[in-house]
Amino acid sequence: MSTKAEKQISLFDNLSDLDFLRLNKFQAFLYKLIHIIKAIPGWLLNLLKAIGNIIRNFFIAVKNDIVDIFNIFKNGDYKTKTSFLVMGFGHLTRGQIVKGILFLVFEVVFIGYMFICGGYWLGKLITLGDTATVSVYDPVLDTYVLQANDDSFKCLLYGVLTVIFIIAFIYTYRLNIKQNKTMENIIKSGKKIKSGKDDLKSLLDDEFHKTLLALPIVGISAFTIFPIIFMILVAFTNYDGAHDGYSNLFSWVGLTNFNSLFNLNLGNDNLSVAFGEILSWTLMWAVFATFTNYFLGMFVAMLINKKGIKFKKLWRGILVLTSAVPQFISLLYISKIFSTSGLINGFLLNNGVFTSTGDFIRFWEDGTLARVMVIIINIWIGIPYLMLITTGILMNIPADLYESANIDGANAWQQFSRITLPYMLFVTGPYLLTSFIGNINNFNVIYLLTAGGPDNPLLLTSGGAAGDTDLLITWLFKITTGAESKYYLASVIGIMIFVVVAVLSLIVYNVIPSTRNEEDYQ
Amino acid sequence: MAEVILKDVKKIYNAEKHGHEVIAVHDFNLHIKDKEFVVFVGPSGCGKSTTLRMIAGLEEISEGTISIDGTVVNDLQPKDRDIAMVFQNYALYPHLSVFENMAFPLRLKNAPQDEVYKKVTEAAEILGITEYLTRKPRALSGGQRQRVAIGRAMVRDSKVFLMDEPLSNLDAKLRNQMRAEIIMLRQKIDSTFVYVTHDQTEAMTLGDRIVIMKDGYIMQVGTPDEVFDMPDNLFVAEFIGAPKMNTIKTSLVKEDDKYYVTPFGTKLVVDGLKGDALKEKNVEAQDIILGVRPEHVSVTNEADENAIKCKIKVNEMMGSEVHLHVETEDGTSLIVRVPTAELSHEERTKLLAGNDIYITFKAHVMHMFDVESEKNLLV
Amino acid sequence: MEKKHMGLKAKNRLSNGLVYFILIVISCIWLIPFVCLVLESLRCECTYQVGYLIPKQWGLDNYINLFTKTDFPVWFKNTFIVGLATAAIQTIMVLSMSYVLSRLRFRGRRFLMNAMLVLGMFPGFLSLILIYKVFSWLGMTGANSIPGLILVYTASSAMGYYVSKGYFDTIPRSLDEAARVDGANRFQVFYKVIMPLAKPIVIYTILTAFMAPWGDFMTAKYLAHNTSMGMNVAVGLQNLIAKPESMAANYTMFCAGGVIVAIPITILFMCLQKYYVEGVTGGAVKG
Repeated sequence: MSTKAEKQISLFDNLSDLDFLRLNKFQAFLYKLIHIIKAIPGWLLNLLKAIGNIIRNFFIAVKNDIVDIFNIFKNGDYKTKTSFLVMGFGHLTRGQIVKGILFLVFEVVFIGYMFICGGYWLGKLITLGDTATVSVYDPVLDTYVLQANDDSFKCLLYGVLTVIFIIAFIYTYRLNIKQNKTMENIIKSGKKIKSGKDDLKSLLDDEFHKTLLALPIVGISAFTIFPIIFMILVAFTNYDGAHDGYSNLFSWVGLTNFNSLFNLNLGNDNLSVAFGEILSWTLMWAVFATFTNYFLGMFVAMLINKKGIKFKKLWRGILVLTSAVPQFISLLYISKIFSTSGLINGFLLNNGVFTSTGDFIRFWEDGTLARVMVIIINIWIGIPYLMLITTGILMNIPADLYESANIDGANAWQQFSRITLPYMLFVTGPYLLTSFIGNINNFNVIYLLTAGGPDNPLLLTSGGAAGDTDLLITWLFKITTGAESKYYLASVIGIMIFVVVAVLSLIVYNVIPSTRNEEDYQ
Repeated sequence: MAEVILKDVKKIYNAEKHGHEVIAVHDFNLHIKDKEFVVFVGPSGCGKSTTLRMIAGLEEISEGTISIDGTVVNDLQPKDRDIAMVFQNYALYPHLSVFENMAFPLRLKNAPQDEVYKKVTEAAEILGITEYLTRKPRALSGGQRQRVAIGRAMVRDSKVFLMDEPLSNLDAKLRNQMRAEIIMLRQKIDSTFVYVTHDQTEAMTLGDRIVIMKDGYIMQVGTPDEVFDMPDNLFVAEFIGAPKMNTIKTSLVKEDDKYYVTPFGTKLVVDGLKGDALKEKNVEAQDIILGVRPEHVSVTNEADENAIKCKIKVNEMMGSEVHLHVETEDGTSLIVRVPTAELSHEERTKLLAGNDIYITFKAHVMHMFDVESEKNLLV
Repeated sequence: MEKKHMGLKAKNRLSNGLVYFILIVISCIWLIPFVCLVLESLRCECTYQVGYLIPKQWGLDNYINLFTKTDFPVWFKNTFIVGLATAAIQTIMVLSMSYVLSRLRFRGRRFLMNAMLVLGMFPGFLSLILIYKVFSWLGMTGANSIPGLILVYTASSAMGYYVSKGYFDTIPRSLDEAARVDGANRFQVFYKVIMPLAKPIVIYTILTAFMAPWGDFMTAKYLAHNTSMGMNVAVGLQNLIAKPESMAANYTMFCAGGVIVAIPITILFMCLQKYYVEGVTGGAVKG
């Protein structure tokens, strides 16, 4: 009947929905894969564009703001104009006493600080100090005393704090001016300016978010944002145990530290080899740890959920019980019973499986075996939690889906692969990403089981020794706490961990649909 | 005097992701009189709920002003607007008993226990839920929950009563019953009502005035009679009335000072009020869309000079009436509504699917719309 | 026909039997280590690792030694204090943040969420280098590390808002709206409507916040800096068996310590398990 052959489809083209439906499963998978790969440059381009836009918009906003503020000065009344010099003047004269006083006090404190020490620390930030603490002979005491001079660490710390203070001042100054304009407008339109009491009231209503967020944001700023800024800066210095900042100053070194991580020919320090090796194991570990837990946890949950199985609560209870025991106990204990002279080997010897101590399985002394062991033990640790999570979701899958699949003739495996798994992957997409990132930084499991061991001579670097099971995060810990205390190296690795995690998240966010729209869940 | 006045009200959503604005409500102007019952009706996404929520203060007003009882409420929090609201999904507090649910607004005002007790029991009495006062909401049926929600709104004695699709979650039978109860309730509560629904029957039966909306625009405001008898445009004509009005592309002809329409090769004279109105407006002959409600089509016989031959595709027996889905010879689908009471048994057997019948249109109740603007020619 | 029907039943019984068998094996695998731990902690004849399980000489020597010869009581007290304080402060932080992000819409909300996402991608340990240095100037390390430890645990804890936000998101938004129309301000909505409904997630947050310090190792070790008086149970017990020679002398004592820590935590956990499960299943995935 039909004369013309079906038209050829190329997987590399953009197919219409109908053409896509003609592909078989394998072709469809290839098609999707090809298009994800094809899309990557686009994302990167978009990312760069977005960053460019942010920077551009920032400068445009700054420009507009300056123009705006200039106009406010030109058009404002004397109260507003005075506020340019005396912050809070407009507030005070228009009846917002508390706000006015706060502005004024802030200005006084800022100016005082800048005069007394702000300028000094800003200067020190450029050099990170020029004279180290030295021992000086004191003729009066007839002994050597330490004469305190610059401390690079303090120079950096106070320098950065001063910069932040200046930014905060600029922001407050701007706020002061903008609020003056708002007040002028309100007065012009004949309305009443909010009293301090109204402001307080709105903190429980319209502005309730400010009340609730105040404490968390202060905490995050002080204990996360500021330290991160500081440590990023440290990555550009040579701060370590030898250059501790006071007996021996440290200074800016530019990109040297990053170079040493990527440069393969840097004398006898195989930092770049170690980094590559540890990074690849970290990723391998994260993949295995995440997905073994995920699928086996789901498997156990489905076993318990199976129709006709009794004592569901008991089975679940046993598993949950074990996850209540603090991890460090179970991890340390298991690490010990698997040690060469541990319970397992001893037991096997006592019962005649081994004939001599020479038969002992050296679980933690062989790199590959140790890696396999940590993954297996991590399954033991992780399954109860995954079982709990997946049980909840499994029970949420509408039963009629299975009933209809049953009628359509699907067997158990088909029901799992066509209904359960897609549903689970969709719902748990964001969770999988979080747990993957969590595993990249899974300090406890690795450190308590193997402490990174067994040591691998290939991974011996200027930062200290590293082992076969070391993740980037445990390596970071070792570098910091080791004899050399290479803080700058730790910072560089910390930044690299960030880069790895960020890139992975970006890809996942673009591939998994359920990560995109938070409102969809509401 | 709780008037609600909406002046040039606009709702603009900033869709940051898409980088453009979405206007959900365009220049909405409406003067709701004191103690009036106004119904906003329209298909989903027409902006009716958004408008209601702007009156409630749950959505910010992008432009324009809304005033309640003479006060502009744009900057007021919902709690300060003196309104009560009933939600589609009841929005009962699951952790509180029915009594405490209804008492909630009074508790927030720190009303004395005596007053709380009196008001809540009074409202419960009216709504017939006294025996459930100590129960938790989850132990109630849908209809009972909705009564509690209405009761919670009642105890506030507020100026304006807002209802957002309050009957949509109920089954058909209960919905009819609750509709009747709302009408009775309204006589007891001396308040202004704004009611949102997508159901034109609800709108017609409840409203003093109906506001029909589409895509953020008001299509028509009027009493139920007005919007039914004199729809401003094709949208309103098709939206109000069930089954839907038949629309036929045809032309309006003017001969000897008389107007005719010519559907399916027939020639019907437009006389009566409509004909006079056409004359008065001196409408020119043109292509039009003719609107004929299914109840204004009658089954006739071949002999009738304006009879149109059709084939019956589907016969829907509704009990008191029969809906015939017919197809004319040029393939146009029409719906005909025939009251069962007027048919003999023999006649009914003729109306089975597959048979050919002849129909005519009642010319004096037809509606004529402009092809381009879809506006009623007579408005 | 009859035969086939029977076959179906038998098949079902067989597969259920298989499932029971697997479940029993799984339960054993998960329980045996803890049985071993308890048995080893009751062994008195030697303190090093041996190749058998049943003690030749039963007794509580290890427990007595743990309390008399080590600083275990101090570690326990430290951890307990840290746990309580962390539970209190972290709960406030996390609930504030998650409520705000779930319920309130304000300028900068997206930015805030993205910023926390990005900040969370930096390894937290990195910040400790600076924090340790500053704390050591303030005299808050070593033996005095407890207040510092609480600060480090809680200050940024609001960044872990995901689970509870996920839970808040499941509470219908129309309840907030109804309450606001009924005359409540946002604060009243928060504590009169949302908080009573969020009981499971509140308890979940308290429970997880209380339990976290018992298992934390990295932060506590770094801040305590080898000062026994400033350690928590994890660091202290690990310290007991960190070196081969101390391992031989303290192994059974470590087991005893493990049991003592595990018992109260497990009991607490079992009592509140219902809420934990609700929290995990309700919030974890939606976050």
